[in-house]
Amino acid sequence: MALKELNISPVGRVEGDLDVKVYMENGVVTRAHTQAAMFRGFEKILAGKDPQSGLIVTPRACGICGGSHLYCASSALDVAWKTTLPPNALLMRAIGQAAETTQSIPRWFYAIFATDMANKKFANKPLYQEVVKRFAAYVGTSFQSGVTASGRPVEVYALFGGQWPHSSYMIPGGVMCAPTLKDITRAHAIMNQFRNDWLETIWLGCSIERYMEIQSWDDLMEWLEENESHRNSDLGLFLRAGLEFGLDKFGQGVGKYLAWGTYLHKDMYNKPTIEGRNPATISPSGFFDGEKYYDADQKQVAEHIKHAWYTHQEEGLHPFDEPIPTTSMDIHNLENSDFGGKYSWSKAPRFMGHAAETGPLARVIMAANPANKEHQFRDPLFGDIMKRMGPSVFTRVLARMHEAPRLYLKINEWLSQVRLDDEFYIKPTEQDGIGWGATEAARGALAHWIKIKNGVIENYQIIAPTTFNVGPNDKDGNPGPIESALEGTEIEDPHDPVEVGMVARSFDSCLVCTVHAHDNKTGKQLAKFKL
Amino acid sequence: MANVLWLQGGACSGNTMSFLDAQEPTVVELIVDFGINILWHPTVGLEIGHQVSDLLNDCISGKTQLDIFVFEGSVVEGPNGTGQMNYFADRPMKDWVKELSDAAQYVVAIGDCATWGGIPAVPPNPSESTGMQFHKKQKGGFLGGDFVSKGGLPVINIPGCPAHPDWITQILVAISTGRIGDVLIDDYHRPRTFFTDFVQTGCPNARSFAEKIEGGFGKRGHGCLFYEVGCRGPMTRASCNRILWNRQSSKTRANHPCLGCTEPGFPHHDLKKGSVFKTMKYLGFLPQEVPEGESKLMYWFKAGVGKFSPSPSELKEHSK
Repeated sequence: MALKELNISPVGRVEGDLDVKVYMENGVVTRAHTQAAMFRGFEKILAGKDPQSGLIVTPRACGICGGSHLYCASSALDVAWKTTLPPNALLMRAIGQAAETTQSIPRWFYAIFATDMANKKFANKPLYQEVVKRFAAYVGTSFQSGVTASGRPVEVYALFGGQWPHSSYMIPGGVMCAPTLKDITRAHAIMNQFRNDWLETIWLGCSIERYMEIQSWDDLMEWLEENESHRNSDLGLFLRAGLEFGLDKFGQGVGKYLAWGTYLHKDMYNKPTIEGRNPATISPSGFFDGEKYYDADQKQVAEHIKHAWYTHQEEGLHPFDEPIPTTSMDIHNLENSDFGGKYSWSKAPRFMGHAAETGPLARVIMAANPANKEHQFRDPLFGDIMKRMGPSVFTRVLARMHEAPRLYLKINEWLSQVRLDDEFYIKPTEQDGIGWGATEAARGALAHWIKIKNGVIENYQIIAPTTFNVGPNDKDGNPGPIESALEGTEIEDPHDPVEVGMVARSFDSCLVCTVHAHDNKTGKQLAKFKL
Repeated sequence: MANVLWLQGGACSGNTMSFLDAQEPTVVELIVDFGINILWHPTVGLEIGHQVSDLLNDCISGKTQLDIFVFEGSVVEGPNGTGQMNYFADRPMKDWVKELSDAAQYVVAIGDCATWGGIPAVPPNPSESTGMQFHKKQKGGFLGGDFVSKGGLPVINIPGCPAHPDWITQILVAISTGRIGDVLIDDYHRPRTFFTDFVQTGCPNARSFAEKIEGGFGKRGHGCLFYEVGCRGPMTRASCNRILWNRQSSKTRANHPCLGCTEPGFPHHDLKKGSVFKTMKYLGFLPQEVPEGESKLMYWFKAGVGKFSPSPSELKEHSK
């Protein structure tokens, strides 16, 4: 029984195709399988090529996170070639990374997520009319201003990288550009306009400085009730409607979080090494298992392929030990996938053996680590929110939006630290070796592993945040984070399972998702829709 | 008024991201003021699931008029010609592409992947990717060299990795306002209005190119990136330096070598050793590839003279 009258709020998620098969019993999701439905084989293309190929190829793995791929690709080469990075280069890279992430915050919220809050499921809620007025696709008052504002931060990226998307301005040894004072001033001006046009006026309803005073959930609630400007800002509306609509009640997930961290400090990573990287991050790295923080040691990553369409690989290999992927020819029509066997183009990465959620929520949890150093983000808010409320669709969205004011301040700070008379690039000596580069893309932990031998790439492995989040089961049958977050979700109207869409979208999986909802008893397909 | 359907194959969505950054007109203005009716798009489409496959089938049957079929990303034919590596709405995407191209008045390929295969088609081409009507420089591609849409044109190619938003919006407007006849296309099916002049037109380093003054990474000033770091601006047809990107800059203005991404064959030399951010040399110092319209011998002669003649010093000094 395929339904045709679906009213799931739209918004495909760019980047490839993801199918999600959901099984429900008595209105509750009992099992879910995620299927990545597109394969291009970038790692295979890179093998045997010029060592710098990743600088051109990997940003094109993802047009949304291209700057993040570039951050990783250049860092991996820095390690392999043992470069020296001038402070200006680290600043320029951090500014580009932060600009790309800042772009994604309003674009994701308005174009991808908030339109779901205008779904008729919530029509009987008191705040529904106001939500529709602001967040409805195309016609919402905030939809247009938010989507328009999202193009501004990447203008800063273009000033230093030439264009966005798809620049390759970060290179081993530094950056290509040598900006002038005109560029710096213009970048400040663009960011100020972004603040005045959206961040303070539409999103916060207060100054960034006032918002940054918030340290706990109670502080946040106090801020909300402080005045009408706060209550009526888009953040104020999201807080009130999010709780009223019950977005804090579903989409919990695996409860384990991984962040590689990013923004390598200008004076702490001038001699790039794998070991030296994590302590140099400004947005801190870490693994949080629900109770304790651990070092995000890249050695703890392993990729599983039992349920992925790849062969000739042992289970649970570290990226440095993985072969270039060999595709399995045992591909069935996605409709008839055997979930006991292979069912996705995505591998299943695990950290210390665990499925781990990556993304803004993981990042703000790491920012709440009491052990963070002076140069790192120290922000207790989400430590408190996790204790008080735990993870949910609501928490995840709030974490994403919480980053905008801090990144605004950081971009301005980094711009002001650029020393125009100093170097932006130190030419490195090319050599064979191994390297690892990592960052936080807007949607989570991204890393590249490279091996260079005889002057060409011997092996290149990319693990994207979406690989962590939408990966299939591992060899022991443990679900991936989104598969897990969907379990237990209550579906009010199985013919319009908007809740499933909201869970998947709260992760901002970088894929076009197709959800197939199945009734667990009859196995009948109930609904199918693009996310 | 024109109905537009936009699908993605082996894509990174970079062209969609570029499109969303459009100004004059913005995407919203395109819809409100220029009569572009987007039937569906993976990022902004409202329809879902079977509504999408029903819509595609209505376009194919003619029940819904399909004026413009936009395709972004490579056509994925793997494994073994089955297309199973890119599945969409219950079918291999390539099967939708074939039927929709036959149904559409005009077919527009956006970005290098859709025009000539792009990065996915670099050997060993693991996904068996190809472009709509070209495979690299070779005419043919997925639809075949003889393909002509109902409107009487072959696939209109808007290359670039990504394509500039102006190139996309202006072609959509030209079709929707019935002025596509004013758009002339070149041998690679590119609209001449954007792809006749070279990237070098408007490049602030053009004088250094003439004077053979080398530029390099991290250097301020207007040295030319053609001689050492592989800039393809003199060989690449595109309007990047005249219309700028994100309203601010361009690759060469930011000291970034042009990668030649609007020419078939990008990434050039298939990323072989020594071809990335390096100028491939002949006899160790002469650029292996020379600007369009010059014979190699004549160019090398002039370059040899230029190289050993004194350069104006004021070009080397540049204010911060």
